[in-house]
Amino acid sequence: MNRYAIKYFFNFWFLFLLILALFLTPSFYSNIPLLFAIGPSLLNLNTIFLSILIEALPFVLIGVLIAGFIQIFITEDHIQKWIPKNKLMAVFMSCIVGALFPACECGIVPIVRRLISKGVPIHAAMGFMLTGPLINPIVIISTYMAFGNDAKIAGLRMILGFLFAIIIALIISFSFKGTQFKQGIHINKPHAHAEKLPFNKKCSHMLTHSIDEFFDMGKYLIIGAFLAAFVQTFLSTKTLVNIGSDLPSSIFVMMALAYILSLCSEADAFIGASFSSIFPSPAILAFLIFGPMIDFKNTIMMLGVFRIKFVLWLLFIVIAVVFTLLWLAAPYI
Amino acid sequence: MQFHFQQAVKAAILFAFSAMIYSFHVTGNITKLINPKYDMLSKAVAIIFLLLFVVQLKRVFTFSNQSTSYHITCGCCSHQQENTSLSIKKGVSYFILIIPIVTGLGMPTKVLDASIAEKKGATIMMTNQSQALTGDEDVATLNDSTEGHSVDPNLLEKKQEMPKKEYELLKQQLAKNPLVEMTDYVYSIYYEDINNNLLNYQGKSIHISGFVLKEDDFEQNQLVISRFLITHCVADASIVGFLSEIPEASNLEEDTWIEAEGIIDIGYYNNVELPLLKINKWKEIKIPEEPYLYPIDILISM
Repeated sequence: MNRYAIKYFFNFWFLFLLILALFLTPSFYSNIPLLFAIGPSLLNLNTIFLSILIEALPFVLIGVLIAGFIQIFITEDHIQKWIPKNKLMAVFMSCIVGALFPACECGIVPIVRRLISKGVPIHAAMGFMLTGPLINPIVIISTYMAFGNDAKIAGLRMILGFLFAIIIALIISFSFKGTQFKQGIHINKPHAHAEKLPFNKKCSHMLTHSIDEFFDMGKYLIIGAFLAAFVQTFLSTKTLVNIGSDLPSSIFVMMALAYILSLCSEADAFIGASFSSIFPSPAILAFLIFGPMIDFKNTIMMLGVFRIKFVLWLLFIVIAVVFTLLWLAAPYI
Repeated sequence: MQFHFQQAVKAAILFAFSAMIYSFHVTGNITKLINPKYDMLSKAVAIIFLLLFVVQLKRVFTFSNQSTSYHITCGCCSHQQENTSLSIKKGVSYFILIIPIVTGLGMPTKVLDASIAEKKGATIMMTNQSQALTGDEDVATLNDSTEGHSVDPNLLEKKQEMPKKEYELLKQQLAKNPLVEMTDYVYSIYYEDINNNLLNYQGKSIHISGFVLKEDDFEQNQLVISRFLITHCVADASIVGFLSEIPEASNLEEDTWIEAEGIIDIGYYNNVELPLLKINKWKEIKIPEEPYLYPIDILISM
């Protein structure tokens, strides 16, 4: 077996163990009769899996097209010029660019990967990745509507989300350097042809790059969508909800829910709103802010690009920042 | 001339994705997966895949001189092993990409049922009083008997979005009706209003349809007449429905679709006050063509 085959073998072991762990959760055992009804639940699983995929594909395609565009049309010199040298300024600017940039968390990973390979520092890329799906017009309007045309939750979601993203990106800037790409992904050398080729040639190269990008990311999207659908079909929300009895545990439960449901940030507001009678606002905000920043589907896609260690640290930092700050801010919300 | 097997595989997969989405639209299965509002978006995806397929076709065959020039210009990419032979790694990744195409074309899509509703914590959603749903259904229903009531028929034209003023007006007019007719179109408006102003509705007659949902801690004569509300795709479905009392409830299986008439009353579940329907007439119906409800956008006037 060659090197890649061995690595893949281990990746599959990891996935297998993950699925096994899901099977072994107590909530699954309490549903033993479900095992006998595996036929219909398999169809349910397939339907949810396909629907997540169909929902995500437009955004993924936009993501890979933009990634292709960046690859061909944007040079490292541009990036050098645009990104401030100062870390704080770089983080701040990237968060604002992310906020202005309408993206979904499933389409943003290929873009971020392309940006980093073009020389964008990791902290700026993370700032962009965290605010991109969280803050944009569609998300603001859908949140506003879902909470009975009340601007409070929508406003807090944007403001707190923006602050959290800056803090997380700053922590990243002090703890990580380099691209954090996993082995086997090579960093681009400046493209000689980026400037020379005529425009139509560039466009066709952009599309071929987009195709390759799709084949690089597609498998992670599919694995992520499948696992998210699996959890939705077999894990009961009720089990989770019963855990969340006081403030910290309710924040934690809503974050866990946001993570495993892997909803699109444009569509999660109604689900969040439907929990607003059982959980206090800080917990609802945790759901609305944490979900777009990082979720199950997105983690799998990031594992396809970044080192496992970096992804786990990022996950930990995001959880820690969102959890503690919301907990501290709770009396004022 | 050279034939590149891997590029051909990629082209085939791109084409298959396009074909799968196209087939969802042709068979109408797409409505079981996403909100029809996003129809155009998913059609666009099918077209983009087709376009990428055409672009990809150019890479399947290369003439020897072209091939070298291609690799000079593009051999520097970060895409892994652009030109290696078919390794296990590649094989596995193509296999994963084929899975949704196989299950999408090969397995029937299913309308969400009570087992999913339970996983989503149906009764938790139901006991939720403050939730303000602002949704509508844009598909015509067969028993649209709201004509003849005090509701302005113009407002009942099926629209995917309406200004806030119009929405409020429709809500007010609906609230005046003596009979609460829960058609798909006005379902979510009534649902929001009944939950928020339960006292206004106490004692009114209601006509409703939905599928049967039960919980272990329900009384013998209790069940929920419920529907799924889909914002974007079925993965974000939330449950709307009313706790109902039907004497024959114990004979009704979960997932049975029923049409029922009754009186709106106030009841309690887990010590939470909530609307309770006292059903006096009901019949079993077939699952409707459009089993889901969809929220609409209220245009925000600036």
